[in-house]
Amino acid sequence: MLHLRPPFPAVRKTRRDFLKVGGLAFCGINLAKLLASERGSSERSCIVIFQHGGASQLDTFDPKPDAVADIRGSLKAIPTAIPGVRFSELLPRSAKALDKFALIRSMHSDEAIHERARQYVFSGTKPRNELLQPSYGSVLSKEWGPKDGLPPYVAIPQTDLSFEAGFLGPTYDPFISGDPNTEDFSVKDLTLPGGTSLEEAKSRADLLGALDSEFRKVEQSPLIDSIDEFYQKAFDLISSPAAKRAFDIGSEPDSLRDAYGRTAVGQGTLLARRLVEAGVRLATVFHGGYDTHVRNEPQNKQIVPEFDQAFTALLEDIEQRGMLSTTLVLVIGDFGRTPKINFSGGRDHWPGAFSVALAGAGIQGGVVVGATDATAAHPIERPVTIEDLGASVYRALGVDYRKSYHANGRPVAINKEGEPVAELWS
Amino acid sequence: MGRQSLPSRPDSVRLGIAEGQFPTRVRLHSGVRIAAVAALLCLPSGAARAAEWETLRLEPSGIVLAGPGRSQGFLVTAIDAGGNESDVTHRSEITSSDEEVVAVDALAGLLTARNPGRAEVRVRFETLSAENVVEVRERASEMSVSFSPDIVSILTLKGCNGSSCHGSPVGQAGFKLSLFGYDTVADHTMIVAEGGGRRVDLAHPEQSLLLRKPTFATAHGGGRLMDSNSDEYESILTWLSQGASFDPRGVQLERLELYPAERVLAGTGTRQRLVAVGRLSDGSSRDMTREVRYFSENDAVAAVSSQGLLSSTGPGLATVMARAMGKVATSQIGVVEGLAGSGFSSPEPRNFIDAAVFAKLRQMNVAPSDPASDREFVRRVYLDAIGLLPTPAEVGAFMDDRRPDKRSRLIDSLLERPEHASHWTVKFEDWFRNCQLHSQGRSMGVFKDWVRGWLAEDRPYDEFVRTLLTSTGDTMLNPGANFWHPATDFMLKEFSVTKVTPTVSRLFLGVRMECAECHNHPLENFTQDDFYGLAAFFARLRVKHGYGEYRRTWYLDEAGEVEHPVSKTKVAPKFLGGDIPSIPETVDRRTVLADWIIAPENPYFARATVNRVWHQYFGRGIVEPYDDFRSTNRPSNPELLDGLAEFFVESGFRLRPLHRLILNSRTYQLSSQSDRPGPLDHPLFARYMPRKLQAEVLLDAIGQVTGRPHEFKGYPRGTLAKDIYVPDGPDYFLVTFGLPRRDILKDRVPVPTLSQALNLMNGEAVREKVEAEDNILGEALGRGLSDEQVTAEIFQRAYARPPDRTDIGRIAAFVASERAAGRDRRRAFENVLWAVLNSKEFQLNH
Repeated sequence: MLHLRPPFPAVRKTRRDFLKVGGLAFCGINLAKLLASERGSSERSCIVIFQHGGASQLDTFDPKPDAVADIRGSLKAIPTAIPGVRFSELLPRSAKALDKFALIRSMHSDEAIHERARQYVFSGTKPRNELLQPSYGSVLSKEWGPKDGLPPYVAIPQTDLSFEAGFLGPTYDPFISGDPNTEDFSVKDLTLPGGTSLEEAKSRADLLGALDSEFRKVEQSPLIDSIDEFYQKAFDLISSPAAKRAFDIGSEPDSLRDAYGRTAVGQGTLLARRLVEAGVRLATVFHGGYDTHVRNEPQNKQIVPEFDQAFTALLEDIEQRGMLSTTLVLVIGDFGRTPKINFSGGRDHWPGAFSVALAGAGIQGGVVVGATDATAAHPIERPVTIEDLGASVYRALGVDYRKSYHANGRPVAINKEGEPVAELWS
Repeated sequence: MGRQSLPSRPDSVRLGIAEGQFPTRVRLHSGVRIAAVAALLCLPSGAARAAEWETLRLEPSGIVLAGPGRSQGFLVTAIDAGGNESDVTHRSEITSSDEEVVAVDALAGLLTARNPGRAEVRVRFETLSAENVVEVRERASEMSVSFSPDIVSILTLKGCNGSSCHGSPVGQAGFKLSLFGYDTVADHTMIVAEGGGRRVDLAHPEQSLLLRKPTFATAHGGGRLMDSNSDEYESILTWLSQGASFDPRGVQLERLELYPAERVLAGTGTRQRLVAVGRLSDGSSRDMTREVRYFSENDAVAAVSSQGLLSSTGPGLATVMARAMGKVATSQIGVVEGLAGSGFSSPEPRNFIDAAVFAKLRQMNVAPSDPASDREFVRRVYLDAIGLLPTPAEVGAFMDDRRPDKRSRLIDSLLERPEHASHWTVKFEDWFRNCQLHSQGRSMGVFKDWVRGWLAEDRPYDEFVRTLLTSTGDTMLNPGANFWHPATDFMLKEFSVTKVTPTVSRLFLGVRMECAECHNHPLENFTQDDFYGLAAFFARLRVKHGYGEYRRTWYLDEAGEVEHPVSKTKVAPKFLGGDIPSIPETVDRRTVLADWIIAPENPYFARATVNRVWHQYFGRGIVEPYDDFRSTNRPSNPELLDGLAEFFVESGFRLRPLHRLILNSRTYQLSSQSDRPGPLDHPLFARYMPRKLQAEVLLDAIGQVTGRPHEFKGYPRGTLAKDIYVPDGPDYFLVTFGLPRRDILKDRVPVPTLSQALNLMNGEAVREKVEAEDNILGEALGRGLSDEQVTAEIFQRAYARPPDRTDIGRIAAFVASERAAGRDRRRAFENVLWAVLNSKEFQLNH
């Protein structure tokens, strides 16, 4: 008796396929549950580029060329596609592409500790002591479920505590991809170990199914059902050519891989695009190195151009593929950095003001929301909270931002008090 | 360690626990009482019900009606010899001793005041009778409407002050009310003064927004909530006409009661009327049945209408709540398919755990599963007691043992093994959050070793807790001081009393206080005052950087107070729900708190602890969530919880006797298999529920089965997963299988995940061990064992049982087909090993 679904061929599952399989031989796998997990009807998806550590607003999207030297630094400001708006010289491509994305310069919060700040910005809700709020990707996983046999939420190349599902539970944690910018990139645990063919994998899975169905004759519990369900999904993933293809960044033309940049963030962003195209709901690209307490400028000269290249290549790529209208691109970090450069040539944590970029999914390109004071320390115009950002993200993705889940015996809202930033759709 | 006498006895009502639910003092364990419960189990049942009625109850009692015209609903309950209760209100004969004072409407189940005075209400049902005295007071002739409770009741009833409307932390459309009316003063100000006073128009009361909005005479986001000819509308109008005053000397609602407090309903669609009584500050009572908001925490078990009519919807347990003006009352509802009949049988109780569990199962008519076989038992008890699989030799020795007390002997020997201490050390690390994030991996090892030593010697748990709570010093030298780390920020620079306070209340009192940091608890009577009163015990604790980069030293400052966030005044240390002790300046406040917590008289400490331990064995607390004790979250078996708490106190707060007691119970030793699995199996402990192995146990078990222990960098080969000091970068396998972060109070999640399935199927940890040359297969094949013998070796190790005929045939056929597919014998058995390690029979403890 088959316990796991036969691994062939299941490229693209339809509801009918599921029913057919169900009719075959699912020992007790809850078919309704499996169907429910395919409920996602949304065509929207999201790519997050995470500037890990917190990017300096002054050295990226909000330069202050008229400030004194120990605030402005030595980098120049350059014009952008929008007259009157200037970026740091480290973002030449983004400057030209500003007509494709929107910028909020007046973000502000009061969380200056990395962990809490990240949890804040990844969930749109201020972290509390004992209840972890789910990240955007976890909420999308819960709301939409997987599509086309792919995990709904992927972290590239690694995860972070702030990406987690919090009170929604580990079912909605991200799937971890590994680093696509390595020669022998293969997704952790997703590919069969070397030397194991799909035929062999199926053969031993059949034995496993037989052992389990024997055990099932005497033991019943919801736990056993849900383990079955995950084994089923795992086997789908392993055997699905679609999943394999989605993660196969090597099949992208070299010219495109070069366009994104042969860097962790470049290849990560390209992988994110592949995944989203194949059915992943949200992919987060982790770009490290922004916590510039020392040597702020040399470090930024290294990493900000990497970002600039990846981000603009992504915008162009998804526009060409007709994905821009359905894909939200979000650039966020922990917080901003201190206006004044410290004695180590670094900038420290500064949640008082920072910038966030958004594109696609109906967001109006070229919009610049808010403004900061002369030193980029505080918003002086149209301050935007992280709650507002969260509401905007959910609105762009078509998720009810007033939604609540039940946790700790009470309703907990996915977003509290935030209002979408209307200008983004103007 | 000397124990001080208690400054105060915690008031059970203030602590959020219904009176009578917990004895105020933890009684010593009594053999007589157990015998009585056991005797009850043996009573014949199924005889004609009518002959068995033993007690009649008339509720509520102590009714004091505020004046003529006021009414009060009542319930008559008959109880039979088996403890089954039945609503017989409409089958009873009810009379009043003085119809001029109190009139009885038996059909409506209602008493109505006629004139001031006293009357006795008498109830007769079959041969039983009961009576209550009802008092009727004089009252001002004109009906006056008060803001509290009258207006606030309406706001609660209509949902205006609920969390999704104006009761949300930011209110709604500029109009903010306290959640369920806990702050009536603020609510009054908001209504009459805020918003420029536009919500009330005293000159033209009917033009007030307070009336126009809910009647939708003016557009209202919350929709139309009342008619202009309703009683509620009349009450609000009267109140406005009388000046919309808030009379601080007015009557306040002090306590809410809900009847029946407990009820078992048989079958679905069975109805039960609820009666809510408010006890007011002037000593009178008020029928609030129509003035409270009802809520069933489990609609699949019992649904409740807005009128307080309860209806069973399916088998299970549900708490039904009634809320008004920041007060809450509950009724515990059990729904069973049918009441216990003569066919009900349960195993002979071995200790008081069984007596309590089987009595409850009988009451709820849930049949316990059969006793576990020796083979089921031996695998289970090894995994639970020492976190390891029994070796084939250990299984063999146990199976061959013919002594009748061999299970008890095995339990005794397991509890003495060092792996028992290691296994429970990991649980303590979870509880006390021994976190690599906070100790940066350094003093984490110091804490772990110290805990393991404490558990190995079975030193008393109350002393352990006192040591933690009063610890100071360098965390490398004073292991207990690591307890404070999770209450600092990430850089360990700042200690936060608001972080440690909910941790202490949850760990040691089983009470969740998080809500009260920001607002009064909507489901409980805890307030911000309680929260900051508890926080004040830690007001003088400080931390400084030590010599090394990651060394921290904790010390007490000479001064320091906690400030109340609203009143901005300093808060005196106050026991949770108790008194304000007077503490000399020279005394460490924490010692006073520690002594109060661990006192045998504290109704929480022992219960919270035994419930934690129980949860580890059964995957569910008697109170569940296991650290969320409150009147709105009752124990599924109060007798059991009380008995365990008494036992724990009597054993001097030592854990090993508790482990021994639980493991020896029939309840623990019930089979996990059930002919008729049902929703009450787990809450009532009718069988052992299959559970996932904890990450460390699973990894060690994979090592045991394959003969290749997992290798941890920097540790000698053979080191158990439970014994490693979790470094800055914890093992991928352990993290995937749920090793918790421990920087916040977060439990290991008992549900499986996709990553876990993928990891066991394809991950390095399993693959490397299955394919290693010198693993169990290398050894067995090298010895020249037959296919059947290799199969037996694998099954014995993984399942603690030999393969049966079906298994042998199946494996033989599989090996043959693998050979036919061109794989060699070794590879074929690697695939057998893979399938066994991925099978549920292996992955679960059952």
